[in-house]
Amino acid sequence: MAPLLAIENLSIAYMLGDGRSAEAISDFSLRLERGRIAGIVGQSGAGKSTIGKAILGLLGENARITSGTITLDGTVITRFSEGEFAAIRGKRIGYIYQNPMTALNPVLSIGEQMIEAIEANTARRGEAARTYALELLKSAEVSHAEERLSKYPHQLSGGLCQRIVFAIAIAAQPDLIIADEPTTALDVTVQKAVLATLKRLACEQQIAIVLITHDMGVVFQMCDEVSVLCRGRLVEHGSTAQVIGAPRERYTKDLMAAIPSVDLKRDRFDVLDSFANTPGRRRGIAFLKSGIAAARGGEALLTVNGLSKTFDTRGRRAASGGFRALDDVGFEVFAGETLGIVGESGSGKSTIGRAILGLIEPDAGAGIAFQGRPIADMRSRRDRIALSRSLQCIFQDPYSSLNPRMSAGTNITYGIVAQGLISRAHAKVLAEDLLEVVGLPRQAAGRMPHAFSGGERQRIGIARALAFRPELIFCDEPTSALDVTVQAEILNLMKELQETLGLTLVFVSHDLAVVRQMCDRVIVMRAGRLVEEGRADQVLTYPRETYTRELLAAMPRIALEGAR
Amino acid sequence: MTNFILRRLGQSLILLIIMSVIVFAGMYVISDPVAVMAGEDATDADREALARSFGLDQPLPIQYLTFLGNIARGDFGTSFVYGRPVLPLILERLPATLEVVLLAVVVGLLVGIPLGIYSGLNRRKVPTKIISLGTTVGYSIPNFWQALLFILIFAVWLRVLPASGRGPTTELFGIGWSILNAEGFRYVILPAANLSVALICMQTRLARSGTQEVMYQDYMMFARAKGIARPRLIGRHLLRNILIPIVTITGLELGTLIAFSTVTETVFSWPGIGKLLLDSIYRSDRPVVVAYMILITLMFVLINLVADILYAVLDPRIRYA
Amino acid sequence: MSEMISEPPIGRLEGFRAVFGGYPAAIAGLFGIVFFSLIALLAPVLAPQNPFDQSRLDIMDGLLPPVSTLMDGTISVLGTDAVGRDILSAVMYGMRTSLFVALVAVSAGVAVGVVLGLVAVMRGGWIDAVIMRAVDLTLSFPGVLLALLLLVVFGSGADKVILALAIGIWAQNARLVRAVGLSEMKKDYIAAARLAGIGQLRIMFHFLLPNAISPVLVITPMAISGAIVAEATLSFLGVGVPITEPSLGLLIANGNDYLLSGRWWISVAPGLVLVMMVLSINVVADRLRDHANPYLQVKA
Repeated sequence: MAPLLAIENLSIAYMLGDGRSAEAISDFSLRLERGRIAGIVGQSGAGKSTIGKAILGLLGENARITSGTITLDGTVITRFSEGEFAAIRGKRIGYIYQNPMTALNPVLSIGEQMIEAIEANTARRGEAARTYALELLKSAEVSHAEERLSKYPHQLSGGLCQRIVFAIAIAAQPDLIIADEPTTALDVTVQKAVLATLKRLACEQQIAIVLITHDMGVVFQMCDEVSVLCRGRLVEHGSTAQVIGAPRERYTKDLMAAIPSVDLKRDRFDVLDSFANTPGRRRGIAFLKSGIAAARGGEALLTVNGLSKTFDTRGRRAASGGFRALDDVGFEVFAGETLGIVGESGSGKSTIGRAILGLIEPDAGAGIAFQGRPIADMRSRRDRIALSRSLQCIFQDPYSSLNPRMSAGTNITYGIVAQGLISRAHAKVLAEDLLEVVGLPRQAAGRMPHAFSGGERQRIGIARALAFRPELIFCDEPTSALDVTVQAEILNLMKELQETLGLTLVFVSHDLAVVRQMCDRVIVMRAGRLVEEGRADQVLTYPRETYTRELLAAMPRIALEGAR
Repeated sequence: MTNFILRRLGQSLILLIIMSVIVFAGMYVISDPVAVMAGEDATDADREALARSFGLDQPLPIQYLTFLGNIARGDFGTSFVYGRPVLPLILERLPATLEVVLLAVVVGLLVGIPLGIYSGLNRRKVPTKIISLGTTVGYSIPNFWQALLFILIFAVWLRVLPASGRGPTTELFGIGWSILNAEGFRYVILPAANLSVALICMQTRLARSGTQEVMYQDYMMFARAKGIARPRLIGRHLLRNILIPIVTITGLELGTLIAFSTVTETVFSWPGIGKLLLDSIYRSDRPVVVAYMILITLMFVLINLVADILYAVLDPRIRYA
Repeated sequence: MSEMISEPPIGRLEGFRAVFGGYPAAIAGLFGIVFFSLIALLAPVLAPQNPFDQSRLDIMDGLLPPVSTLMDGTISVLGTDAVGRDILSAVMYGMRTSLFVALVAVSAGVAVGVVLGLVAVMRGGWIDAVIMRAVDLTLSFPGVLLALLLLVVFGSGADKVILALAIGIWAQNARLVRAVGLSEMKKDYIAAARLAGIGQLRIMFHFLLPNAISPVLVITPMAISGAIVAEATLSFLGVGVPITEPSLGLLIANGNDYLLSGRWWISVAPGLVLVMMVLSINVVADRLRDHANPYLQVKA
């Protein structure tokens, strides 16, 4: 019997404006039987989503299938017209989109969007469609189903919206579901529950799933088999256990080596680091060492007491309430250590950093002291300059953290030049030296930010922070926007710099595994409160608090016997 | 929602007060109304008597309050030219303006939205390019010159439509309307067409850019992915989204249209409030100008308020914010 | 500004090609803009007659159709008006006035709007509230009526027309710059600059301005053509620039009285020039705007 879905030697190209074309997918093949879950995994730009869209006939007008076929249950669908595709979409193939908040039409009610899909794809009409919609919501574990039907998407959480998208996708009991990064936009605890629902629905109805993801943990949890994709090419295909446990190809091995584990701390990720020991790099390191005081172990560099922050949510009436982003948080950062701050979105972890750095004003009563002096007292211009020299930040989003109208070199040095810490003449050479310190070529100094990749920009951001020779660097999810292999490179770089220079780091992340790799101590945040504090290995291995335990349990783990 | 309306009402009130100060200052303070009324050969005694009889010898704040008080009672004074109370003078010309403006809006929406959606959906097709060029040309022809061309072509050369004036009217609710009358309708065509050209261009562009934007949204792709057929995709998902800005902006543009009708009415000698305004400006009939400005501000304030509320009602993201 | 490293010139040329390549109408518009600007600039040299030198006008030349011979033997290509003024010369001088008024009004409006928009973003609080309420008030009233009112109160004249037009323009730009500026302010490069101890003024002009100005530049051509039309409308209505320095609008108004008697050329020539001028600017403006619209770019 023919497989449910067969993709044979598929190639897809995007037509560029000037008549040229760029191949997005080359010679990709996949066979999927009923009731099985196949993962397609790859990093950004690998072309994973393109395959999903091709199966549904949703490629943009500038994309062309240049060769190969897609067969659904024996019928070749590659050359289907829009009308023919419309007849199988929703009925035979369901679709689950990456961002549930944007997948639903903001101006139509949930009920209308569910019922129109039911009426389009099943024989149910009117009241019967409505009753069925309620049934579907219940099976997708949506509470208060009746009430949800009259709501609009923006009134519901991301997790709920994704469950509604699930309900729509399974409405006509399709044979196949394309799930494109179904949980990327969600927190880990929500992700776990949502994935469990998806898996149960697929099992119950014998639906095959093509699961597109960048996350090996999700693949391990969900998939029977997996295809590894790199720049549009199929690198490796096999059972999940084989590909993850004993990868055959070099690319897959590197990919696996770059994935941080929450259970095991490694000194460095096993990825290729290219630091040529050039004179420029040596000069840059010497410059940094000359200004950064060597860490004196055990001394509290930064102390935070009673830190609260309330955001105005409703104009003038904020006094009566408002959103409490931080609630009485206190901790210390010791010289030379890396303190991790972990928590889900909305836990207040980034707000802590912004308050320490003086980018937002904390509520009255907060005590933040740097080297024993309260920051609130450091108001004079000299003090402020000294403070901004001592406290620096590496930001989360590499695409918005560099001034797009300044060259990389100027981005690195404008601050220290403006403060008179270095002459304009020296700044150019220093910028080039620092670029070498963070592993970029000297020539990069003259290029504008848009010419760099995300990882390269993050390196420039690190160089900018280092240029001040700060005592403490606040790292605000520095790798969360990056691919896992790039993340490994950046984390290696940061570890290397910390060891060479004796930096003190505060490292904010939602990813417990990354925190495990980087940090000596951690604090766990939840809804603005500090839940747990302690040594990283202790907290992440034997957590005392229930919430920390839940977080750890929700992490998609790759735990194979004898893996690696 | 109630808060929102109250806040908007407060802002509207401020706008009205500011407008009344500007108009008052412009009309009664900067230039000397006594000199205007008394004429060149009046003696000082004449002037004083005149000033006293109009209350112009009082301190300015008192004069302003009197001015406000009179307006509140609907007393805008008496026209110098017509010798009649100003308010009824303006109100009896309002229907003429309204029928032209409303006809232009209906035509603009009915023509503009389909053209816009078509060109938004079919970016590379030839009709789209023609529509696009057409809107640019339409935008580029100043309203008044276009009116002259209409007269030249349809009235002077082709002699098919009347060049000026308002034809016979038919009574409805005690008000005469030209559009209800076959002969009268011939008179409405040119002024309404003149006003609607810019409006068609605007609606086409709004609908086009809205369509282009909405078609790229994730939810449109997801709607296709869940098997929604094209008619519903366009008629419900797309239209519902693009209508929100279109309805709002059209509401706001009503004010601009009434303002622009001054030009149209002047060229076509259409006896609406716009022509009355310009005639009054030429003849220095201050009470009429003042009343027009105050009334039109009031009208804008109401239109803006309704448009804002409409926007909030149409868009659930704001309704339930 | 020494720290701002601008794109190399080669990039500009490529940028030009990226915007205008394959759009003949837009390129024609660019040529039109250059052509009309040159004529306006050189009108005193190019015009066959100085149309405002009353002593040179001969009433016997009045109302001649195009291509007529005047009393002094010269040929009037576009005919003459009631007082014997050569229409071609009057149109050339009229363009000068129209363009001058529009350019000054837009420059003033954009400058004031951009600075106030940036100030609103940087200072926030009550300063932002005051500026934005002023913007709301200005924009809630149609520009033409506002201008009409101002001109009735203060009297006509080129300076007053400029003021009246600039009032409508500043508000638009202030609103736009504030919207763009607010989204830029949320970005981390601004936080980085604050963290580096860069002062407010420097952040405003060296960081915020270069990153928030593009949308303003995109709508500026549209504002210029809009100002040209608005000035022409006001002058047509007789409340704009005075007869001593007639703009295109006033020339059209002069011909209005003769339209019904079939002497169409007096209004049509200045009108056509006005339309061509505005059209040239608008096709360029359209292209710039479409180019800046992310939804029209081919997704690679």
